[in-house]
Amino acid sequence: MDDLDTLYEAVRRGERRAAARLISQIEAGERAVAPLVRRLYQAGGATPVIGITGPPGAGKSTLADRLVGLWRQQGHSVAVLAVDPSSPLTGGALLGDRVRMGRHNADRGVFIRSMASRGCLGGLAGAAGDALIVLDAMGFGRILVETVGTGQNEIDILHHAGSVVIVQTPAGGDDVQAMKAGMLEIGDVFVVNKADLPGADRAVAQLRDSVAFRHHMAGPELWVPSVLKTQASDGSGVVALDAALSAHIAHFKDFPQAWARRQRLRAEGILVERLREILRERYRLGAAKPQRFACALDDVVARRADPYSAALALLGEGGLA
Amino acid sequence: MSEGAKIRCLLAMLGTDVHSKGIRTLAQILRDEGVEVIYLGEHNTAEGVVNAIITEDADVVGLSYSTATYLHYTGELMRKMRAENISEVPVMLGGLIHPEDEPELRALGVRGIFGPGATTRQILVFLAEATGKALPGLGGQ
Repeated sequence: MDDLDTLYEAVRRGERRAAARLISQIEAGERAVAPLVRRLYQAGGATPVIGITGPPGAGKSTLADRLVGLWRQQGHSVAVLAVDPSSPLTGGALLGDRVRMGRHNADRGVFIRSMASRGCLGGLAGAAGDALIVLDAMGFGRILVETVGTGQNEIDILHHAGSVVIVQTPAGGDDVQAMKAGMLEIGDVFVVNKADLPGADRAVAQLRDSVAFRHHMAGPELWVPSVLKTQASDGSGVVALDAALSAHIAHFKDFPQAWARRQRLRAEGILVERLREILRERYRLGAAKPQRFACALDDVVARRADPYSAALALLGEGGLA
Repeated sequence: MSEGAKIRCLLAMLGTDVHSKGIRTLAQILRDEGVEVIYLGEHNTAEGVVNAIITEDADVVGLSYSTATYLHYTGELMRKMRAENISEVPVMLGGLIHPEDEPELRALGVRGIFGPGATTRQILVFLAEATGKALPGLGGQ
C-alpha cells in the first residue's frame, strides 16, 4: 500500500518517469495497477481533453504539433497521447507521430506518449482511456489524444475527449462520404486541412451543409459544430481552431446540464466498451476458462443447450446479466 | 516482465546527419519482427531524445550515424541520460561505425554496436537480451 501511495503522489506531482512506467503497465494489462488507476480517476477530470482524428495523411500530427506550440505560448503544459495502428500480423508497430512534433521533444512542458493500437492486452480503448486517466491526474493544462479515424476501437477512444476535432483534406471527397456514416455525430469541430489544395472551399461548404442539416432543430443548449479551414504546414487557421475549441469548452460552461448529459453519455460509452473488452479478453480463443465454461461448451456441443442460452447462463453466473 | 509486453525501441538520429535510409529500413524491419518502434527521425538533440526515452518508457534506444560525429553526440547523450538517472536503458549504435572506435563507445556505455555487415538477426538477439523481453521471430530459444 505504501508503494501505491508513493506512486500516486509521484503521478499527482507530474513525475514523468513514474507516469510513463505506469502507462506501460497499463498497456501490458497488469491488474496490479487497477487500484492506482481508480484513485487517479477519482482525482481527475479537471484538464480539457481534446481528441483529434481523421484519415491517414490528413495532417493530424502536424496540426497537433501546431496546437501544442500555440498552447505552450499560452503558458499551458501539454500532454499528447498519439495512437497509431500496429501490424495485425506481427503485433509490431512503427509509431512515427513524434516526427511531426519533434520541435517539442526537448520541452519538458510537453509530455508525448505513443501507443500502438494492438499492443494493449485487454483492448485499445481501455488502455488508452486508462493512460488518459494518468495524464489527466498529472495536472497538465491541455491533453491531446490523436487517433486514426478508422476502426471502432480508435473511435471509442474519443469518448474520453471533451472536445473532438475531425480532420480531413479537400482531396478526400470520399472522406466526406465516409464521415457521414458515423463521424459527423462525434465531431465538435470539423477541420478541412491542406486548405491550399483545390476543393477546400467546396469541402467546407459540404461539411457546413451536413452540420446544419443535423442541427436545424437545435436549441440554444446544443453545440453546433464549427467548420474551419487550416493549413497545418504553415500554421494558418490554427489560432481559429484553438478559438473554436475554447468556444466549445465555454459553451458547456454556459449550459452545465447539457454538459452533464454529454458526460453521462460518454461515460456510458466508456463503460460499455470496457465491459465488451473484459468479456472479449476473458473468453478469447485459447484463454484459460473456468470449469463452468467447459460445461456450457459440452452442453452446446451435445445440443443440450443452444449457444445463446448457454452464453446468457454464463453471464448470469458471472453476475453480469 | 509481463508475457504480453512488447519491446519498445526508440530510434533516432542526432545532430545534422541526414542519411536516414538505414534507420528507416531498420524501423520497418523491427516493426515486422513485432517490435514497437518509436521513430523520432533526424535532427534530434540529446535533450529531446532523453525526454522521449522518459515519456515513452523506452526499453532500448537505437542511434544511427553516417558521419564521424558519433563519438561526440553519443557521449553527450550518455551524459544526459546519466544526469536523468536513465543510464540503465540500453543504447545501440548502427551505421558507419569504425571498429577502432568501438572500445571508446563501449567505455561510454554503448551496449550494442552494429556497423556495416551486421545482420538483422544480430540486432534482434541484442534487443531480446538487452530488454529481457521475448521476440516472436527469434523462436523459443
